[in-house]
Amino acid sequence: MTGPRTPTPFGSLLDTLTRQRGVKAGMVVSESDGIIIDSNMQIGVHGDRVAALAASLYRKARMSATAAGLGTATFFQLEAERGRLCAAGRNDLVVVVVTEAQANVGLIRMELLRAAEGFA
Amino acid sequence: MITRVVEGWVEEPLKRFVDDARVVLALMLHPSGQVMAQHGFARAMDVMSACALAAAIHASASELGRQLDGKPFSGIHQAGKDRQLFLAEAETAQGSYIFVTVFDAESSLGLVRLYFEELRAGLASAAPALEESSEPILAEHFESELNRNLAALFGRA
Repeated sequence: MTGPRTPTPFGSLLDTLTRQRGVKAGMVVSESDGIIIDSNMQIGVHGDRVAALAASLYRKARMSATAAGLGTATFFQLEAERGRLCAAGRNDLVVVVVTEAQANVGLIRMELLRAAEGFA
Repeated sequence: MITRVVEGWVEEPLKRFVDDARVVLALMLHPSGQVMAQHGFARAMDVMSACALAAAIHASASELGRQLDGKPFSGIHQAGKDRQLFLAEAETAQGSYIFVTVFDAESSLGLVRLYFEELRAGLASAAPALEESSEPILAEHFESELNRNLAALFGRA
């Protein structure tokens, strides 16, 4: 993608998230389409790929929680060897964050849940 | 559901796409409308109709892209209530092919686009070089070629 970013209502939310130490990428993704609506990413993050797969994972996790009778899932965290992928969503919007292993997950979780509340 | 192909080199990349992207239907065809591979179709007649329509849509969309943007559109996505359609072109050493897929809520446009890029790369690397003696598909041979390919996919002409 080239050229200036088209302003969206999610710009300040993404700026807040990606200002956190250890956050490599933040994106708002359509849960049903897996397409990025807005993003703020460091070079080297494959945004489209992460968005499509993370939205699919989040959707399946949410459906699993519902099927298990656990109610609505809002926050999702995946731990990997070199970092984490966190997501929170509401109303077909998912905010996805890619972090390094040493990032403060508590703070990021709070920001993600606050962001998801804003999608109501 | 069974994936069936006319030429062997198409099978592995197409099967991987279907497994990864969790699509309902997949169809690969020559821009002339000749079927090359299919997944999810039960009847030869449906494949024939889908190929004719896909070839026509591709031709119209390519021309529309040329008129509006100076180059053919690279893909088409149409979202229905329960199912969605994605159509795009894949370039190989054997020439260009049209790829059409239909998916439901088990997949998403993002996943389909992601795995289509892998399919495109897989087809490009799997396709054998075009033999110099290969004959172009002529209009007078179209029906017999189509019937031969449908027979290869469904086991009958």
